[in-house]
Amino acid sequence: MNVWSTTLGLALLSVASARAQTLPSEPIAVADGRVTIGGDVSATMGSSDPGFFDYTDYEHSALRMLRVDVSAAVNGGDHLSLLAELRTENLDSVQPYALYARIRPWTKRAFDIQVGRVPPTFGAFARRTYANDNPLIGYPLAYQYLTSLRPDALPASTDELLRKRSLGWLTRYSLGNAAADKGVPLVSAFRWDTGVQVHATAGVVNVTGAVTAGTVSNPLFSDDNNGRQVAGRIELRPVSALIVGASVARGPFVAVSAVRAALGDDSRAGEFTQTAWGADVEYSRGYYLLRVETIVSDWRLPIVKTPDLQLALRAVSTSAEGRYKIRPGLYAAARVDYLGFGDVAGSLITEPWDAPVTRVEVGGGYSIQRNLQLKVSYQYNHRDGGVLEQLAHLKAAQLVFWF
Amino acid sequence: MATETRRHGGKVVQSPLGVSVSLWLVPLSLCALCLLGVLAADGPKISAARNGTIRGRVELRRVVAPAERRPTVSDLGAPIARDLPDVLRSVVYLESAPRGAFETSEGGHAVMDQRNETFVPHVLAITTGTTVDFPNSDKFYHNVFSLSKTRPFDLGRYAAGNSRPVRFDRPGIVRVFCEIHSHMNAFILVFGHPFFAMTDAEGRYRIENAPPGTYGVIAWNEGTSSASKPVTVPDGGVAEMDFTIR
Repeated sequence: MNVWSTTLGLALLSVASARAQTLPSEPIAVADGRVTIGGDVSATMGSSDPGFFDYTDYEHSALRMLRVDVSAAVNGGDHLSLLAELRTENLDSVQPYALYARIRPWTKRAFDIQVGRVPPTFGAFARRTYANDNPLIGYPLAYQYLTSLRPDALPASTDELLRKRSLGWLTRYSLGNAAADKGVPLVSAFRWDTGVQVHATAGVVNVTGAVTAGTVSNPLFSDDNNGRQVAGRIELRPVSALIVGASVARGPFVAVSAVRAALGDDSRAGEFTQTAWGADVEYSRGYYLLRVETIVSDWRLPIVKTPDLQLALRAVSTSAEGRYKIRPGLYAAARVDYLGFGDVAGSLITEPWDAPVTRVEVGGGYSIQRNLQLKVSYQYNHRDGGVLEQLAHLKAAQLVFWF
Repeated sequence: MATETRRHGGKVVQSPLGVSVSLWLVPLSLCALCLLGVLAADGPKISAARNGTIRGRVELRRVVAPAERRPTVSDLGAPIARDLPDVLRSVVYLESAPRGAFETSEGGHAVMDQRNETFVPHVLAITTGTTVDFPNSDKFYHNVFSLSKTRPFDLGRYAAGNSRPVRFDRPGIVRVFCEIHSHMNAFILVFGHPFFAMTDAEGRYRIENAPPGTYGVIAWNEGTSSASKPVTVPDGGVAEMDFTIR
């Protein structure tokens, strides 16, 4: 209740403050422009979600969240800059979402090395999760919906895995960490990974590669399995209107502690990987913006008791979203989203290892001023199976402020 | 002289150009510019007398820094280099204009280019009825828009080599932005009369063809206005007036 009172208070304060000319409209620059500070604040109020469709962990819903991001860039000359972002959700503890150095060895070449907690290499949406970049309020399923998989806890058999269908918001397994915790999405939009990233641009081609500690579904600050993820992305911009991207990532997913619990030793920890492929297209012209993104993810887990699991657990997600500007400051948007899971054979039944989800979200936004926007949306969610509610009609409103 | 009393003694006309401080001042600015039209009805008439010139210099004691790019934390690499807007140009204009000055609006053309992530020029002063073309000279998209009450518009996304026009029929201040590049911004000052001038690189200005009479003159820079100063334009002569914007 306190969080919502605070949310409402901040929302009202932001409007009142904007009228009173006290809120910044540009990034704050100090030290002769060498340090710039920006901010993103979004206050979201939405329907209760007993089916946990929009939860980002077991206590946070993307439709009921106050999110505050403060980002900073320190320009250390032509070759070096430091970038950081601090984030808090619902006024919980402040987390360093990003913290890295950007090195440009040759000033005349579009070639950068980024070291630290770096932006996601994989996919398109993960780098535009900010509320002012997202035409709707909800996230694409691939980046938010929590599957029943955990890196630190494992089902002993496929039967145990199938019993956890739809329980990704809070699940518990018999092997590894015994505490209940959230599962992972296909690609996390809520944490960035730690490592080294290289980016180059040549004409219409952008290429990025990275070696990081975690995986796309489980980015980490410190490694839990002594393995490294390798990720790559190529992006083509043949004309202004079109961006075509393809991504791939592969790295050890299961924590050493869980592998040890399942197999007795951790010598094979590097085999239990997440491999993801992604393709995305963005086309925009005039008042239209269209985006389509497909992600396929395979997880290999040490599920060794009968019925065991030899094949990878596959999940496939496709989302398509569009935005149309109706008049200055006003737009409408929609997203259609599907998340499916591959079949696995249990003792009695063969079925998808998690419950497939379909989501349709429609909404729009109105700019009260350039950097103060009100968004509303309606979301239809349907889950095909599982033990939780299978249908949800959710409504939400969001106030967004940035500078 | 009744006009002079009204203009300078008691009924102070609010400065319409405080917008860069915040867009919430736009409505006030609009009202102020509308008032210009009202006052003009009682202002000195354009007569057969020879017109004069107002000239001088605007000194900027406070230089507004160009808008910085937002921290590019989520970018995979460093952003491309951009040009910086020229924030040193000011606009000097008559607070009120002679009767008849509002009746002839020829509706010319002006250009505000989008080049190296900068609007060029950064400040454009035009009369009502003017159409401004917004060409895109960059290799990538821009999306020019304004939420100003004077003339809200959104030109959508269009590629290099293309241009979109916007006609401005109401006096006021229009803040122009790019939806894709948040550091891009510009001002368009739309006047209901032709008695205004941009300063040059040294801050000098020259308002030509002002009918003889006494006027309030204001200097504006990046949303900050000077106090109105009375200037008397002699018949066929030159009036000098310098400004300081702090």
